[in-house]
Amino acid sequence: MSFTTSATVAQSQIAEPDLTEKVDEVVDLDTPWIVLVWNDPINLMSYVSFIFQKLFGYSKEKADLLMLDVHEKGRAVVSTGSREHAEMDVFRLHEHGLWATMQQD
Amino acid sequence: MRRKRPDGPIIVRDDGTFTINLQDHERETMLDLVGQLETVLSSGPDDERLRRLYPTAYNENPEHDAEYQGFMREELTQSRAASIATVREMLSSDSPVTENQLGAFMMVLNNLRLILGTLLDVNEDDDEPEETDPLYGQWQLYGYLGWLLEWVISSLTGE
Repeated sequence: MSFTTSATVAQSQIAEPDLTEKVDEVVDLDTPWIVLVWNDPINLMSYVSFIFQKLFGYSKEKADLLMLDVHEKGRAVVSTGSREHAEMDVFRLHEHGLWATMQQD
Repeated sequence: MRRKRPDGPIIVRDDGTFTINLQDHERETMLDLVGQLETVLSSGPDDERLRRLYPTAYNENPEHDAEYQGFMREELTQSRAASIATVREMLSSDSPVTENQLGAFMMVLNNLRLILGTLLDVNEDDDEPEETDPLYGQWQLYGYLGWLLEWVISSLTGE
């Protein structure tokens, strides 16, 4: 899902590979991404919990705890993984109207 | 499993399907709102009213975000158009409603609340709106949509 990764691969096929850059790239890819959901005054608490269950297969107990974390602490990490994985999760959360962002941990 | 509540707006049927138990005027209002949602969406993701429907993905990296938005916004719009089509068909018929259709109804209701909530600039510590408030009608609609959404969620979760 990420464009930069495939663009870099395509580039390295035509240009002379820069070894230093390649090493950086590998390190960068190994660092996991986190998906955050932020508190907002519009979405219902029951809705947020249900979406966590629906999208991530979390139990009601886990989803409720995450939702309360978002509500009380302002944000919570709802998933971690590769950049592609995080982008897909962010997309699905946006599709369901949740306020989600991603960043490297 | 929830027992049947004939007076609620959503009735869970024994075969796992649902009945949308809205009065005619409510159904018309919902169809009208669905049409309005479609119109607002057609104005494009940069419309200020749609701020909550197309959030930032990369808070810390505007370059990554522009890339992501360029790719994902159209997908989001298409997904919403599909939900709208499903809900319009569902509200125009008396047939039993499937879980997928009710899921689309949930998404549409939530989209409407996000737009209306943005317009009303909803805060967590808002007081009850006064009847003299020029936006009192919108506040009432916002409350109604929330009530209906709660019913949809509890019907889907069986709680």
